[in-house]
Amino acid sequence: MNGNKVMTFGLRVISVNGIFYDDRAEEIILPCADGELAVLANHEEMILALSDGVIKIKKPGGEWLYGVVSLGSVQVANNRCIVLVNTVEKPEDIDKQRAREAYEFAMEHLQQKQSIKEFKKSQAGLARALTRLKAASKYVD
Amino acid sequence: MATIKEIRDRINSVNDTRKITNAMYLISSTKLRRAKKMLTDTEPFFFSTQAMISRLVRHLPDGVDNIFLETRLEIPEDERRRGYIIFTDDKGLAGSYNHNVLKLAEEKIAVDKGDWKLFVIGEVGRFHFLSKNMDIEESFMFTSQNPTLHRARKIAAEILDYYYSRKLDEFYIIYTTVQGTKIDTKFEKLLPLEIITDIKREKPMTGTMLEEFLMEPSPSAILDNIVPNYVTGFIYGALVEAFCSVQSARMMAMDSANKNAEKMIADLQRTYNRQRQAMITQEITEVVSGAKALKNAKKAKERNKDKQKTRNYS
Repeated sequence: MNGNKVMTFGLRVISVNGIFYDDRAEEIILPCADGELAVLANHEEMILALSDGVIKIKKPGGEWLYGVVSLGSVQVANNRCIVLVNTVEKPEDIDKQRAREAYEFAMEHLQQKQSIKEFKKSQAGLARALTRLKAASKYVD
Repeated sequence: MATIKEIRDRINSVNDTRKITNAMYLISSTKLRRAKKMLTDTEPFFFSTQAMISRLVRHLPDGVDNIFLETRLEIPEDERRRGYIIFTDDKGLAGSYNHNVLKLAEEKIAVDKGDWKLFVIGEVGRFHFLSKNMDIEESFMFTSQNPTLHRARKIAAEILDYYYSRKLDEFYIIYTTVQGTKIDTKFEKLLPLEIITDIKREKPMTGTMLEEFLMEPSPSAILDNIVPNYVTGFIYGALVEAFCSVQSARMMAMDSANKNAEKMIADLQRTYNRQRQAMITQEITEVVSGAKALKNAKKAKERNKDKQKTRNYS
């Protein structure tokens, strides 16, 4: 294609409490179980599982947009990408104080004896708190 | 007939009650507005997840083994263990809202054979089933106030734990939706997923070419990821819908309570006025007749005096 015009694809990022992004995008970087994966325009059709982490969206024009996500899935088909996640937040919207409290709460719980169900719950809580905390300190200022 | 003081007291008490119902009406209407917004926000997620699951299941390669792909239709009707998730409110004063949910739940439980367990959200439902000595999950304590994603996640984890460990085979959900002013009680199957069961039932046409999807890390892992997400989303949606409905039901109930109070006050005011009028009339009659009696007495006295005078002169 001609060099100065970057190709774009349709991107929708949807969470349980609303649509986070619904526009064209140049690139999206997704957190997967085995590392990050970047999707460009005209990507092969695929369905992915997402893990807790940060999605990075490159808007047309080169501006980056970050979102902290929890568990979800991605579907790419016909040059359209749909990201479905439980929650998505902008790093600057994260309340660091609350994230730290959640982190400490989960840590404390992990150290106690508990059933497998409770263990999994605290583990998931810890992972969520940790990604939020990290993202908040990394991407804000 | 009641005395004038009694009527006055009654009017005051009705007025006080009306103030309360009116406040409840206003509170419900603001809560409803907020909940409506939450509901519209969650809709896109819901529909896209459904579309994605059906796409995923249609494109699954052969030989994928996952707990969510089981239809569990092979288990005989009367041996299936069912879980019912019932959404009631914490409080009454919402018209027939709670009653409708409980009635539908009891009807369904009576019809379905086999074993069952109840998962009740909201104080009213929990009390109802406890007083009937029905088998409810004791540790399942959730309120229906201010639905949050956090609570939906906890509820979903609880339910999925039962599903994974195969203690229950099927999950049904009983909740209420509101459309405009029409409130509907709904009964839906949550697990195994109806969309998956439907696709499995209609055998894929042989010879059609479906586009290939790359599935990372594995089809089963994706299912493990997306289905719990869907269940969480579904429960969140049901929580929000139920919250919307209860506010709407309460608004309507309080509105009619307000109207009734106004009618009562008007009636009481009329009897009060009539009583007051009767009292005034009676007082006037007493005063007039008293004055008249006095006047007559005076006249009689004067006449007597005159008579005596004339007798003295003579």
